[in-house]
Amino acid sequence: MSSHREAPEVSQDPVADSTDLYAFVSPDRPDTVTLIANYVPLQQPAGGPNFYEFGDDVLYEIHIDNNGDGRADITYQFRFRTELRDRDTFLYNTGPILSVHSTAWNRRQFYSVHRVRHGKRSTLAPRLACPPCNIGPLSTPHYGRLAREATHHLAGGIRVFAGQRAEGFYVDLGSIFDLANLRPFQNLHNMFGMDVFSGPAPGVNGANRLNVHSIAIQVPKRDLVRAGAHGVTDERSVIGVWTSASRQRVRMWDADRGENINSGPFRQVSRLGNPLVNEVVIPVGKKDFWNSLPPADDKRFAEYFAHPELSSLLPPLYPGVFPNLAKLVASKKARADIEAILLTGIPAGLIPGFQNSTGQVLADMLRLNTAVKPSSSPNILGLLGGDLAGFPNGRRVFDDVVTVELRALAGVTFPLVDSSFTPDAAASKVTDGLTPASVKAPFLDVFPYLGVAYDGYHNPS
Amino acid sequence: MPAENLPPGPAGPADAGDQLAEVSRRSLLRGAAGAGAAGLAASSLIGAFAGPALAGPAHQGGSRPQSGPEHDGRARQDVIVHLRDSRSGEMDIFAGTSHTKVRDRELAARLVSEL
Repeated sequence: MSSHREAPEVSQDPVADSTDLYAFVSPDRPDTVTLIANYVPLQQPAGGPNFYEFGDDVLYEIHIDNNGDGRADITYQFRFRTELRDRDTFLYNTGPILSVHSTAWNRRQFYSVHRVRHGKRSTLAPRLACPPCNIGPLSTPHYGRLAREATHHLAGGIRVFAGQRAEGFYVDLGSIFDLANLRPFQNLHNMFGMDVFSGPAPGVNGANRLNVHSIAIQVPKRDLVRAGAHGVTDERSVIGVWTSASRQRVRMWDADRGENINSGPFRQVSRLGNPLVNEVVIPVGKKDFWNSLPPADDKRFAEYFAHPELSSLLPPLYPGVFPNLAKLVASKKARADIEAILLTGIPAGLIPGFQNSTGQVLADMLRLNTAVKPSSSPNILGLLGGDLAGFPNGRRVFDDVVTVELRALAGVTFPLVDSSFTPDAAASKVTDGLTPASVKAPFLDVFPYLGVAYDGYHNPS
Repeated sequence: MPAENLPPGPAGPADAGDQLAEVSRRSLLRGAAGAGAAGLAASSLIGAFAGPALAGPAHQGGSRPQSGPEHDGRARQDVIVHLRDSRSGEMDIFAGTSHTKVRDRELAARLVSEL
């Protein structure tokens, strides 16, 4: 998945497991940028009585680099606190929850928002309410309204939301992790000599009807970019974004209190910039280490971007389908296109009227040229589809990042850096067969854009 | 993000105890001497620290005895000690969001003697 359970250590720690990161110019407020960091993957909506929540012991952060050094110039910090109204009931709620202040809601969560800018920390909000999880028609009868009530308007034109949303990432988990099978092309897979698939099949969204916990913040552009930024060609218009989760160094089970004790400085345990990087680019033996580092240290992993393992796997797994990619892999040429897309941004001159370069520092960040206006007719393939406002220029909630990255790894973007290379015909057709229509809960046109969380009564059904 | 820039959690009753805590070799020794359960993770020792003569900032150069409500507040926090090497006395002391490295053979020996 994008980054769900992508590394051994964090897969055991769901509340600290970043799953997806989005950054885009807000279509309904184009003077702002929306940043969304998702955590707590693969939530079954019916997961009571202790429904999902953020970790009170986790420091969640969204970082912005606006000078290209791969280090945070601005950081938004989120800390959570769970409160019980009544310790003598097993119930999450004792009646319908009609507002975030409902006395019928027993186990509530609140959060603070801080901003660190140039080393100075300021409090944006000391205590904001999360919405409850979406339980069902008796407990959360007007859930959409509840969720809207939990969108908070802060000073300076900032909006923030933290709570459960419908998972918007769509991916055919079941096929991709079955030895890189893609259902629409499964009959072309080598099947390891077995005769399993006789024809193509439509994709299946493995994340459909599941929920996630989102931290969403909408911030005026001027708060994020360097002073004087003006226009698409201005490098100051480009920001790099990533999210991280940190835990204190020591955690000890206190049997007398019946709770964990946390102590010591916070250390990063999860990181996410571009989708699928730690998932399919970084090898398993280094995933946990990668999660502990800032983007500025990503030069340590440059070889995995220059020679992506998945690119080398496609030709043998799909015999005869990717002959040109096979030659490219055999040539051992560095994939400068992948490095540009994921580590430095795309420099001016490669795509007419566009750049999102942050310079020479190799750093996995979601790069957004904030001067590119939102598209009036978005293409889910983003830049590959001619839509300059989509991935990998930031990432919108509906962008088909799986297909974009599959096609890039298959070679469609290599001509950007080597005009002598001709991609295989199949490279521009590779897909796991999904679209935003594969997500049952529709995306929203307004903040926080991800669909309303699925309720546990109807999901699963 | 530097650890020093960590924010407290949302406002609530426990925030009073969310300041950086510091312990010293002297306070640890006092705690070790007073606690029967001197494990390497020594949060259970903290009750023994809450006396009026708690020591101040911990660093390898020694300690400065201090007292007063502020330091009593620090002492109410959990303190966890990780004795890395009992022979050299190298240990990590964690409290609040702070981490202090200490090398103290005498303290290490006394902690181990309680095991």
